[in-house]
Amino acid sequence: MRSKLTGLLAGLSITLASSTSAWSQELTIFWAEWDPANYLQELVNIYEAETGVKVTVETTPWSDFQTKAFTEFNAKGSAYDMVVGDSQWIGAASEAGHYVDLTEFFNKHNLTEVMAPATVKYYAEYPSNSGKYWSIPAEGDAVGWSYRKDWFEDPKEMEAFKAKYGYDLAPPATWAQMRDIAEFFHRPDENRYGIAIYTDNSYDGLVMGVENAIFSYGGELGDYATYKVDGIINSEQNVKALELYRELYGFTPPGWAKAFFIENNQAITENLAAMSMNYFAFFPALVNEASNPNAKNTGFFANPAGPGGDQFAALGGQGISVIEYSENKEEAMKFLEWFIKDETQKKWAELGGYTASAKVLESEEFQNATPYNKAFYETMFKVKDFWATPEYAELLIQMNQRVYPYVTAGEGTAKEALDALAADWNATFKKYNRVQE
Amino acid sequence: MAAVRTSAEVAGNRVAIVAVLIITLIFLAPIYWIVSTSFKPRNLSTTIPPTVVFTPEVSPFVKLFTKRSQLREQPTPEEYEAAPWWERIVFDGGEKVVRDGKGNVQWSAYPNRFMNSLIIAITSTVFAVSMGTITAYGFSRFKVKGEGDLLFFILSTRMLPPVVVAIPMFLMYRTFGLNDTHIGLIILYTAFNLSFSVWLMKGFIDEIPKEYEEAALVDGYTRMEAFFKIVIPEAATGIAATAVFCFITAWNEYAFALIMTNRRAQTAPPFIPSQVGSGLPDWTVIAAGTFLFLLPVAIFTFLLRNHLLRGMSFGAIRK
Amino acid sequence: MGRERALATAVMTTLDPKSRAASRGMSDIAIRNLFIIPTIVFLIVFNIFPLLYSLGYSFTDFRASSPAAANFVGLQNYRELLNDPFIWTNFAITAKYVIVSVVGQVIVGFGVALLLNRDIPFKGLITTLLLLPMMLSMAVVGLFWKLLYDPSFGIINYVLGLGRFEWLSNPDVALYAVAITDIWMWSPFVMLLSLAGLSAVPKHLYEAAAIDRAGTLYTFFRITLPLVAPILMIAIIFRTMEAFKTFDLAYIMTSQPTTEVISIRLYKMAFQEWQTGRSCALAYIVLIMVLAITNIYVKYLNKVKER
Repeated sequence: MRSKLTGLLAGLSITLASSTSAWSQELTIFWAEWDPANYLQELVNIYEAETGVKVTVETTPWSDFQTKAFTEFNAKGSAYDMVVGDSQWIGAASEAGHYVDLTEFFNKHNLTEVMAPATVKYYAEYPSNSGKYWSIPAEGDAVGWSYRKDWFEDPKEMEAFKAKYGYDLAPPATWAQMRDIAEFFHRPDENRYGIAIYTDNSYDGLVMGVENAIFSYGGELGDYATYKVDGIINSEQNVKALELYRELYGFTPPGWAKAFFIENNQAITENLAAMSMNYFAFFPALVNEASNPNAKNTGFFANPAGPGGDQFAALGGQGISVIEYSENKEEAMKFLEWFIKDETQKKWAELGGYTASAKVLESEEFQNATPYNKAFYETMFKVKDFWATPEYAELLIQMNQRVYPYVTAGEGTAKEALDALAADWNATFKKYNRVQE
Repeated sequence: MAAVRTSAEVAGNRVAIVAVLIITLIFLAPIYWIVSTSFKPRNLSTTIPPTVVFTPEVSPFVKLFTKRSQLREQPTPEEYEAAPWWERIVFDGGEKVVRDGKGNVQWSAYPNRFMNSLIIAITSTVFAVSMGTITAYGFSRFKVKGEGDLLFFILSTRMLPPVVVAIPMFLMYRTFGLNDTHIGLIILYTAFNLSFSVWLMKGFIDEIPKEYEEAALVDGYTRMEAFFKIVIPEAATGIAATAVFCFITAWNEYAFALIMTNRRAQTAPPFIPSQVGSGLPDWTVIAAGTFLFLLPVAIFTFLLRNHLLRGMSFGAIRK
Repeated sequence: MGRERALATAVMTTLDPKSRAASRGMSDIAIRNLFIIPTIVFLIVFNIFPLLYSLGYSFTDFRASSPAAANFVGLQNYRELLNDPFIWTNFAITAKYVIVSVVGQVIVGFGVALLLNRDIPFKGLITTLLLLPMMLSMAVVGLFWKLLYDPSFGIINYVLGLGRFEWLSNPDVALYAVAITDIWMWSPFVMLLSLAGLSAVPKHLYEAAAIDRAGTLYTFFRITLPLVAPILMIAIIFRTMEAFKTFDLAYIMTSQPTTEVISIRLYKMAFQEWQTGRSCALAYIVLIMVLAITNIYVKYLNKVKER
């Protein structure tokens, strides 16, 4: 009953909003709990100062962000007006009608030009190449690497490395070099280990990690337009990439079968690993001496290239969408108009947000702002993402189920795991009538 | 009798005393660790060997109540000097306090979730205990056909796994717009505690001699008057004990709150784990939030110590 | 479920002729109905009605995440669930968890009760302190145990000298780690009930045994245990039921496939995968199991009460 009443009120408010502008003075944005969300809070404080509309950023940890967001959507709840949702959600959320269609808004403001192409493709558009847009690229993100400069630059280590592998010790340019360096620094008896990679199988940690290798080896997860997977996900280069990932797992610290961003940052702060995979958005904590005693000795590099010279990284990052059940949709749209302005995006980058605005990304100012911004800029033009179909959650679970036992326990072979995954995905796509045969 | 003891018995008793002391220490160690971590500076919370002796700080509590974000540039000495003591604590941790558009310091979500917990636990307790008391009186004093079956039915509603009930409740609440509302959770907790309250109160009321009311009825009281003026005062201790049990159950409940609330009515149990956040968890802040949350229950446990047995056995075993 | 409804109407309609109506004010029957019926109705509306609702959905392919209408699929959900080896794995994990944690609680709880059942100074205070863990929130305290179990800086590894032993991230150990936390929380419950049982054993039995020069073991197995058994049984059944339903601890502490007890599977199916119809069917399977244990539990409760 109440929902009908509020629906009625919301309808009323939309008709009234044009005449009485400040009908609602509050907006709530839902996002995951991490520093970018705090930067966003600081950004929207400026909006409040300018317009008097109070905007609050509400957060929940990554581990239950997806569950909570979809529980709220499926409850048709109005607790949040906007959500900064993960790129994979866009298919599910748009098909079920949780997101407001922003195509008109997108075209009006020519956002396909304003925002970096990869962010438009993966954060905003669904289905692929349809010209329909559901969110505004807000936080660009991708996987990058941090490493221990002091370990890498120790003359003794450099000498020993050169003697053993025949080339200079430096941040790796290829995955093969990364393997060597990981092996070189892997010294369990000294409580020092080679590398920290993602292995957590509860959401997309492990999958993102494996994707990094697959994409750089020249592989793909499947054809996102035709849903063909057989021969693509289990291709020869993907098998090689997965085998390498399994090999890297052998150089991780003990207890690394459940690692995601927290553990991978700890690998650096607690002197556990020489190199550590992580999303760029988690790097601020590593340059802060209060949270990382090794801040001065921490360096960063972009995802290395595969054997064929391909260099791609798994995409993170989110777009901001308006929730269909919000009672303040008009006000939310006004906020978005403000958010996409060049000044706002510039300010957003200054505060620490990873803007998707192409203009800001290309500026010198942005690239020199932190030790990792340049690596970020380089990465953002060579990113690829997971499936964004409504059934992506099932695809993710299946990939975890098949790949996890191989990577962490060495069960079966890489080929077997990927063949089985291809069969699982095929069955799922058939179930949802994605493939016509 | 027992006054004469063999030396073996005395020695046995000493061994028992030592064993009990050691076991008590082991059982209390995790709780002690929560309390001590909540007063530690952050860099001492995850040391090896563990830090036992340290100068207590209130910094975890300052951080618990403020909304903060990572500092990317150190504050200038002037900024630092001008800041109040609690803001300096946040600066020292490499963070800054987030302010709203008007420059006011923003609270973290913790106080809000704590208040939600209080409102929901207290209100549902009042409902569950008052309904439970009158129903228990009904069962205790009047003949009810199929009493045993009815009492079993009442108890069985309490035994249902929360997730089993939560699925249909979520769908029903969606229809009525009750998800993420205080009322929604209050109704659920009342229903959950009501059965417990009936069972426990029935035991307490059974113990009040019927003759008290009979005498009052002879004196011209109505049955209602007798209930409110005689039975309720006699049962006061039982009501208090039942209320505390209901409060603790509602206060600690996790699964329903996880599923049925999101922001507006979210209680502390699903919120506190969400503070682990991302990046590097600050265990001192989690400990501070945990400590404040556990405090009321710890106090109640002491007040309730003589009724624990009865409460935990649904009134079946009395001392 | 129809039984409860019938019973409720029975209360409303059958009047008890023997109850004595007060001379003025409401009749006893009216008061009885006024006192009992609202509670029964409330419980039916908020406990039984939702279950009927989900019983209906358990025969459909309904997904709460999809705008599509539900289709009737008959017993398909039940058939698929009962033939799904993954679900049986979840039940097996649950069974293992129940056995480990309940056995642990009985050993620790009953053991401590035996120790406490002597002349111990500050016995009251110590008992109360020992009872503290079971009163605390499982979710919140469980979270903190993650710090205690941490392989690099947890105090458990430090105190036990286990180096970097992995508790929660090792799939083979995680379930036991969760069970240990559960044992810590709930042994006090078994202890509390055992103490009540022990204190009820008549002293003269022990004196008689002493006169007969019976050995300690003999006294324990022939006197103590049989007399404490009924109450201990209550503790065991109650803990079995609670361990079977367990959700909070395992969900908060770890998300290993090897710790996915049935409640967590159910939660994931319903609120992460949004297979609403199927999860309703699984909920019913779980429900029937719980009601069976509850039935045994209540029988024992009544037995003890009658003593």
